[in-house]
Amino acid sequence: MYQLKTRQICFFIIAFLPITKFFSLPSLITSFAKEDLWISALISLAIDFITLIPIVYVCKKTDKTFFEIIEDVFGENGAKIIAFLYLIYFMSKAILPLNEQKDYVEYTLYTLKPNVFYFLPLFILAFYMCFKRIRVLGRLADILWVVTINGFITLIVLSLSNADFSAILPIGASGIKNIVHGSIASFNWFGDSAIIFLLVGSFKWEKGSSLKILLSYVLGAVMVLLFMIIFYSIFTSIAFRQRFALTEVSKYTTVINNLGRFDYIGIFMILFSNMFALCLPIYFSSKLLDYIFSIKIIWISPVIVVGFQLIITLFLYQYFVSIEMFMTSYFAIYFFVFGNIVPIIISLITLRRNKYAIKEG
Amino acid sequence: MRLKKAKALLICLSILLTLFFSNDFGLIDVEKTSIITAIAIDKEQDEYILTAQVAVPEATDTNTENQKAQLSSKGKTIGEALKEMGDVSGWFPKLAFCNLIILGNNLANENVVNLLDYFAKTLRLQDSALVALSEKSAKELLSLSTPLDNISSFAIQKILLKATQFDNDVAPTDIKTFVSGYYSKNQSGYMPLVKVISADNGSGSEGQKSDNSSSSGGGSGASSGGDQKSQGANTESNNLFDARTTALFFKGKKVGELSPEETVTFNALSKNISGTSIAVNNVPLNDKECNYLLNIISDSHSVKVKATDSGIDLNFCLSIFCKVSDVFSTGTEDSLSSNTKLPKPLVEKTKQLLTNSIISLVNKSISTNCDFFNIKEKLYRYNYSKYSQYKDNFLSKLNIKINVNVSGQK
Amino acid sequence: MNISKNLDENTKKLKQELVSDDITFLDIKLNNTNGILVFINDLVNKDTLGELILRPIAFCKETPSENALFEMFLSPEKKQIFEIEKLIDDLLLGNAILLCDGISFGLSFGLKHFEKRAITEPPTSTVIKGPREGFVESLSVNISMMRRKLKSKKLIFENLTIGEYSGTPISICYIKGIARKSLVEQVKKRLNKIEIDAVLDSSYISKFLSEHKFSLFKQIGNTEKPDILAGKILEGRVAIFVDGSPIALTVPYLLIEDFQSASDYYNSSYSATVARYIRVISVAIALLLPALFVSAELFHLQLIPLSFLLTIVNSIKGIPLSPSYEMFFTLLIFEILNEASVRMPKYVGMVVSIVGGLVLGETAVNAGIISAPTLMIVALSGICLYTVPELEQTFSVLRIVFLIVAGTLGAYGILIFIALLAIYLISFESYSTPLCAPFSPLILKDMKDGIYKGFLQEFEYRPESLKNKNKRRIKIKD
Repeated sequence: MYQLKTRQICFFIIAFLPITKFFSLPSLITSFAKEDLWISALISLAIDFITLIPIVYVCKKTDKTFFEIIEDVFGENGAKIIAFLYLIYFMSKAILPLNEQKDYVEYTLYTLKPNVFYFLPLFILAFYMCFKRIRVLGRLADILWVVTINGFITLIVLSLSNADFSAILPIGASGIKNIVHGSIASFNWFGDSAIIFLLVGSFKWEKGSSLKILLSYVLGAVMVLLFMIIFYSIFTSIAFRQRFALTEVSKYTTVINNLGRFDYIGIFMILFSNMFALCLPIYFSSKLLDYIFSIKIIWISPVIVVGFQLIITLFLYQYFVSIEMFMTSYFAIYFFVFGNIVPIIISLITLRRNKYAIKEG
Repeated sequence: MRLKKAKALLICLSILLTLFFSNDFGLIDVEKTSIITAIAIDKEQDEYILTAQVAVPEATDTNTENQKAQLSSKGKTIGEALKEMGDVSGWFPKLAFCNLIILGNNLANENVVNLLDYFAKTLRLQDSALVALSEKSAKELLSLSTPLDNISSFAIQKILLKATQFDNDVAPTDIKTFVSGYYSKNQSGYMPLVKVISADNGSGSEGQKSDNSSSSGGGSGASSGGDQKSQGANTESNNLFDARTTALFFKGKKVGELSPEETVTFNALSKNISGTSIAVNNVPLNDKECNYLLNIISDSHSVKVKATDSGIDLNFCLSIFCKVSDVFSTGTEDSLSSNTKLPKPLVEKTKQLLTNSIISLVNKSISTNCDFFNIKEKLYRYNYSKYSQYKDNFLSKLNIKINVNVSGQK
Repeated sequence: MNISKNLDENTKKLKQELVSDDITFLDIKLNNTNGILVFINDLVNKDTLGELILRPIAFCKETPSENALFEMFLSPEKKQIFEIEKLIDDLLLGNAILLCDGISFGLSFGLKHFEKRAITEPPTSTVIKGPREGFVESLSVNISMMRRKLKSKKLIFENLTIGEYSGTPISICYIKGIARKSLVEQVKKRLNKIEIDAVLDSSYISKFLSEHKFSLFKQIGNTEKPDILAGKILEGRVAIFVDGSPIALTVPYLLIEDFQSASDYYNSSYSATVARYIRVISVAIALLLPALFVSAELFHLQLIPLSFLLTIVNSIKGIPLSPSYEMFFTLLIFEILNEASVRMPKYVGMVVSIVGGLVLGETAVNAGIISAPTLMIVALSGICLYTVPELEQTFSVLRIVFLIVAGTLGAYGILIFIALLAIYLISFESYSTPLCAPFSPLILKDMKDGIYKGFLQEFEYRPESLKNKNKRRIKIKD
């Protein structure tokens, strides 16, 4: 029984995948690639897009789920190892965005920097979400794409008047090394195809689905690039220190002076969608844990994965800068391998086997 | 299972209720918050004197306007001075509504970005706040009373922000623009220079009377002053502000000024200035001299930079379409004339005026090193191949081309 | 237990079971045969009883056979009953029963007659344009109203009785061929499972029909108007009537139903669409405004424009309570006034409104106990909630929860709570129908009665959200 529809996968891509890149990522990439931040982002997006192509074809050719596919390719024990590696991938993928969100909430939303307690209810949301079936993700996407798009349009419209698009010129002046460095640092936030890879087999393939999914990804990518370009066009030389890009870009419009910070309507919309987007790696981690250890009791995996993230957020906060440096440099290769390389390899093997199976059949 | 869920929900609700009624989250009540509307920064010896204008709301039934109070403090850094202010007043200084930073004249000779960077970096203040340089002490400026508004900072903001609404005779800037200009390739910036004029005398006269009121905001202690005084009762309220002069900065230090005429021309070259009026005096017309006030209906502008081997071509294009909003002439021929076109001498004179003003602007840029036309940035963005060749001497390699086009109707 | 041919035996059994004084046992003679007529004094129409039952008995010249007995009475509503228990049930419904010696069945005559409320416009859903009649407490009247609306042989009523002591007649109503068979079966199954002392109102039944019994949210639709109910069952829903209740229940229920007013379908599409948006915005204001105001005052001053902030600070100067307490207690007072005004007699209710609205509010503000903006926000929130009266109970609870969350966690807490609610609601299904359809899951075809109110001609097909097999409902002939 398919739990999702192609439409929901498309909305899922639009609603969740671009928004995690609207917070500290633009400033992080700018610190390496300066005005070429969009090229770094483009590289990461292109890698994800390339990864998505074979995944989409796997969806087309087979009805098998992610777990069935890895079992076919690696055998049962091998599949558990791969699932475990993906568990590490998703657990580590959640750390930086969660902490970035925590900082964002503490520094920009509250008059005074509040206690960490204010951020903890997000883990209740993650915990609750882990109990739900994949079908709920599709239904969430059905609503949240509207929220994301509206929030994005609100912010972009308010930002446009202050953007000097010539700021991203000259193209490529930062040098290939810096651009690539910026791209590598961003792998934690990208690797979205891996998420789609886990949804393989849970939606019904319809005619034109490949095109729809790929176009949705392109739309999401355009949103990311547009945001990056506008961000740099507004802040130019001081863009690298604007850690909370989402709140910053829209506040210079004249209307804000007259009406107050009504751009927060757009900001809250993005924040709302982002809360679910942050829970996605935790959600998939719990499903992977269920699979690896064949856990039948539904609350065990959510407790473990949410607890792990909670501990990191609460107790390792003082080491956050070191964790961030580690994640954006040495560990980036892990994100690249499991976010892109492994899905491509598994997809290609699956497609090849499928081809032989058809021939033999 | 459902009962377990209900229990969990009940526990969550109980926790929430306990937290709600304990009401202790280290939060800052709105009543304990000082709503800072403007900050004035001066320097005394090696300490910064920070003066904050705080809006003091009046009870609604009194039907009076909001009053102000001023808090002063000192510190080696801006952050320290701000902390001191909170310590001695008991108020939590809320900077989110601070829309104006005024720098005292004695700061003009040091790198002001060292001060403004605090505001640019902190998330407690919107870096969209306007920045202006005071002709005198910033504290004095903020302490003045004016018929424009009970709160002087609101009055100054009206002068600075009017540019966006009707008359583009002020070149305002905000913290973000100024600081990003400093960190950009040209390291330049500008901000309005606020002068005090007396409402009685019209323009030119400096507001000496303001000294009395300004002393009210002064620091009383050696380390900090925290006096509050309602300014509503101040009878000396005939001060007005003039921000048409623009102060130029290079590497954070003040290096020159643009006259009011130059400021208008600079605005015309950098943004749309429709609605702005320009005075064109002594226009020879039928052996007589006429004085015109032209209102700009629409305009277009461009400043293009093109680097060649022989130098940097700097092309100014300014095209304005205007309407005569007032004319004074000893003869009446012109005013009675049915011709709807602008008189040719007026067009020529306006062209000449604007051309001279542009030349003057370029010369000022060269003499002060303040690259307010962003030539170096444009060189980098559009002529990257020549950037390294000219980046150190671009101002001396300029070939200026000016194309001013004036048209309009009476 | 079957009815025997021995009248004495049957009478004895009946008298053992029916000991109440208001039950009349009238001995009769059909020529030479003894008989007994049993009825509840105040429930039968005695004129009709005399005319249709007693007169034929009086004129009976020969002992009737079993067949002749049934034929001799002119009552249009008569039936043979072979079991004592069923006979008693029928009697308690208000029918008269006749037992004769030597006859192995009882006859039941539909002679019930009791005072009914006149058909009036229901106070919960008044309309400016459109039908004004509303259901009453009588099941038969309600059924007749539905029959008058839908004169189709496919309109089916299936009756059953629930309540050990109340013996409440209940009728399941649906249109054969439109309502899903599985849905009808599911409803019947659920109803048949109910064992309860008494069903005093349809709300009793709705609790048993709900799939999630602890849920704060409505899972069963209801209406007091025949036109709305006709519309709903024509969309494929199943209705449940309960004798003694003017409120008919409908399943499956969609959240959007309560945002759709009856008048939407009688007014122009444009005004209906605008009205619908106003309802949604009003509900958002009602739910969130107190919470957002408190969170802005406590945690996010920067979100309030300066001039507005100064006004707020002006008005809260000297208020002894913190913003969250102030809002909480004002809301509490509002709910108390609300509760009191509903319960009190009308003329006292007027006093409550004046005392509550004018005296309490005005004095509290003047005395500096609560601030004017808080009072205004609570009043606005209260009014807004009544734009969707069906959801008033649920949302007034949610409003307090939102306020507590806002006072504790601020705007981020509100967002998280909305997110939790969103997940809960979108994963919520009742009778295999998602509560949030057609928004989640997105059903574009149903949007014409969702995100906007389309023109009547656009409603060519029945809502897909309800998963009907018979889809088409409008066909324009060439």
